[in-house]
Amino acid sequence: MSTPDSRATFAAGFMDDYFAEAEEHVIAVRRSLLTLEAALGSELPAAVLEDLFRSCHSLKGISAMVELREAELLAHHMESCLRAIRQGDVVLSTGNFDSLVNGARTLEGVIVAHRAGQPLPVTDPVLAQLHALAHGDGGTAAAPIALAPVLRLAAASPSPAPRWKVTFVPSPALVVRGVKVDTIRTRLLQLGQVTGVAPKVVAGGGVLFEFEVETAAEEQLAALRGDGVEYEPLPAAVAAAAPSLESGPGTRGTPDQAGERPHDVPVAASANFVRVDLERLDDLMRLVGDMVVTRARLEDTLQRVETHVPFHEWRALQEHSAGIERQLRSLREGVMRVRLVPVGEIFRRMPFVVRDLARDNGKRVQLDLVGQATEIDKFLIERMMDPVIHLVRNAVSHAIETPEERVAAGKSPEGTIRLSASTAGESVVLEISDDGAGIDVEAVAARARASGMAIAGGEIDARTLLDIICVSGFSTRDEADRASGRGVGMAVVRRTVEELGGALAVETRSGRGTTFRVTLPLTLAITDAIIVHVGAHTFAVPQAAVREVIEVEARALRSIERNELLTYRGATLPIVRLARLFALAVEARTRFHAIVVGTGLAAVGLLVDRIAGQREIVVKTISDPLLRVEGISGATELGDGRLVLILDVAALSRALRERAKQLEGMSA
Amino acid sequence: MSEDPMAAAGTEPVGAKQTYILFNVAGTAYAVPSQQVLHMEMLEQVTAVPNAPEFVEGVVFSRGQVVPVINLRSRFGFERTKVDLRTRLLVVQADGRRVGLMADEAREFITIPDEAIRPPHDAIGGLSGNYLDGVATLGDRIVLMLNIREVVERAPTPAV
Amino acid sequence: MHTILVVDDSPTIRRMVRTALAGLSDVTFVEAGSGLQAIETLAMQPVQAVVLDLNMPDMHGLDVLRFLRSHDKYRSLPVMILTTRGDATSRDAALEAGASAYMTKPFSPTALMASLRGLLAVTDPARSA
Repeated sequence: MSTPDSRATFAAGFMDDYFAEAEEHVIAVRRSLLTLEAALGSELPAAVLEDLFRSCHSLKGISAMVELREAELLAHHMESCLRAIRQGDVVLSTGNFDSLVNGARTLEGVIVAHRAGQPLPVTDPVLAQLHALAHGDGGTAAAPIALAPVLRLAAASPSPAPRWKVTFVPSPALVVRGVKVDTIRTRLLQLGQVTGVAPKVVAGGGVLFEFEVETAAEEQLAALRGDGVEYEPLPAAVAAAAPSLESGPGTRGTPDQAGERPHDVPVAASANFVRVDLERLDDLMRLVGDMVVTRARLEDTLQRVETHVPFHEWRALQEHSAGIERQLRSLREGVMRVRLVPVGEIFRRMPFVVRDLARDNGKRVQLDLVGQATEIDKFLIERMMDPVIHLVRNAVSHAIETPEERVAAGKSPEGTIRLSASTAGESVVLEISDDGAGIDVEAVAARARASGMAIAGGEIDARTLLDIICVSGFSTRDEADRASGRGVGMAVVRRTVEELGGALAVETRSGRGTTFRVTLPLTLAITDAIIVHVGAHTFAVPQAAVREVIEVEARALRSIERNELLTYRGATLPIVRLARLFALAVEARTRFHAIVVGTGLAAVGLLVDRIAGQREIVVKTISDPLLRVEGISGATELGDGRLVLILDVAALSRALRERAKQLEGMSA
Repeated sequence: MSEDPMAAAGTEPVGAKQTYILFNVAGTAYAVPSQQVLHMEMLEQVTAVPNAPEFVEGVVFSRGQVVPVINLRSRFGFERTKVDLRTRLLVVQADGRRVGLMADEAREFITIPDEAIRPPHDAIGGLSGNYLDGVATLGDRIVLMLNIREVVERAPTPAV
Repeated sequence: MHTILVVDDSPTIRRMVRTALAGLSDVTFVEAGSGLQAIETLAMQPVQAVVLDLNMPDMHGLDVLRFLRSHDKYRSLPVMILTTRGDATSRDAALEAGASAYMTKPFSPTALMASLRGLLAVTDPARSA
């Protein structure tokens, strides 16, 4: 039951993707045409023609998908011309080459105009020209025959380079390192020509890929051995091989590269987007994280060699290291900014999801989107897409009542779902609200108790409600709902949010509606921390939470009942031994360090054995329920492979204040 | 078609089987469906997590994520032993969580036909009986089919 | 949880397919930008259904499909061909190569979802989709 309208609406949500991808193909088309033009007078490289064909074909496909007819038609006609040329039915000459150029120019013009919301250029004359070319009536007699060289396809001449059978066996270990079949293929294309590739199944169900490669660079093949690649020589090819099927950015018909045009390719002025593979951004972020760790190691080494190096040399080293730190900070911020993307990317897809579901469920739903320009990290967008879709689906399926029910309740027959995004300090807040029936808190509580969950009697608060509905498999409805993923889905939603370092909350009012609120950190966390040792354990304390670091002599500590105090700056500072708090093996010491956190009356000193220094750390959140320990908020890798736990100072302070209050109550 | 009673009952056709990973804990062989196992590694450094449940050995960094490690010996009520070169960490997926299971040894991938699996017998005493989906008999081998979800659920009484 | 592999060299189209299928319950998606990548991905993880484009740079979709059908592991894997070409010859070729379903672009998101729902239900009778 698709109408051209619903398809068009669906497609309208992808225009940004379309423009970005189309631009890449358009640029490729221009490049190919320029190469062809430069090759006028000699043989036409088959690989370039193939590239051009492929670009036009892709443009045709995506233009059709977004219902941009004019672009689709132009691309289709270009494709027909190229096919005819490739098959030898039409010969390309300087006379008819212009038709191709006009075709490409107009195609680009159509896309650019559409993007700018302007009237499209006229396409009929160009279409007619292309049509004529494809059917062999092309070729204006503009130039005298002597100056109109005929271009022919060049069959790939038997290459003088030796041939190899290159076998690649993919594996999860290689995938983790970023080595996959397409990366191997790209590297092989840079080494020479790939004349064939075939996948094969191996015993055990895995696959391997066999490439036929022509290259003189055997040492480079050998260098690939560590990446799951093996190779062996093949007998020389029979002469007059079929036209080479493969070409890549590195070997655009290699012999032609020598004559590459000197002039630049002017790109459409409307390029204000750069399409970046999320994987590449991830790699960049990882690299930045690695650099942070490496610089920290450098710092450590510098400390160690201080006494071995002449002072002014050492000073210079220190300054360079500090310079790197500053630059790294800017780099880190820069990369993080690149990763920021408007939340609208998630929101834009929702109207379609809502319409389909509403129709299936017999509901009428209006979707409001607020704050689409709010930016969040691209990584978060990718991960939050599914959870947000799930919450919206739940709202349509379960929260919004049928039009009859709504009217009976005095509401408008059309329900409203509102998606909003806003920033609040260092966080982004996403809200998914509906004006439906609200969650039946009593029913949920009753069902939870009936199924054996330990819930206190009386009213349950919002936190407990959320805990209940996020328990895997929980549902107040029957199996049919369970099939729609309710229950299981909420558990995953919450887990995803927590893994991203965020928080999920719910508010509901019976008969009025429900709001789910997702709070996420704006950026992924690299933060400064103080590294401390307690016995054989190492911990990281976020710098931001630390007021001061002091040295403490054991004998300066006073004990009152089971608590220790220190006289500090004229007041008493409660002291907590981390060793005791975490039940770690303690050795007797005479000297400690204390990390002072909190201010004024809330100040507490955390006692550790010693401070190992300050570092920038990449924070990994800990979210698994097995690891819910009060006082631990995450972990970080210190660069030598050791995983170190990060203290949750706020939680610790809270817990300690509670104890202190109890203490006061007791001693009063 | 045929008069196969199993077919009439609407069950899987005879011959259905699945792939499992086989591993050892305290001398007993266990199996988990290979689909649930993300990857296997040798156990390197485990960072202990204070105040975590007794059977949580700690955490490791695996594929860029912090993964809790459950010491299966401890979970099943056996004495802990030293980690050696044969100790294996199986990182499994359950309910969207990634958890590491620490086994004495992990040997092989095997296929077990569904019909070789029987429900766990009451007679299997000890803690591990609670975590079983079934018992498989392969020739003269007995393999206990582990229910990963049960294993990774936090104990009802909080440790702290 | 069912995994659907979406194979198309256009990132835009892959996105559109994913969004169109977002309404399916209990599914997760994996993408591949070429025939070779699709085969590699299938070898590395379990997949319950594939949406496959035909015209791809390194290996044609029909070759991918034939490769899959010639091996036990993938013989009954549901594969839907989603392609720009709309003539009867292509359709026949696809079906003869072992396609479980065939659809052309531009596609109707609703129709795509209904088809995948059907394909997934076939392999998992317990799934009410």
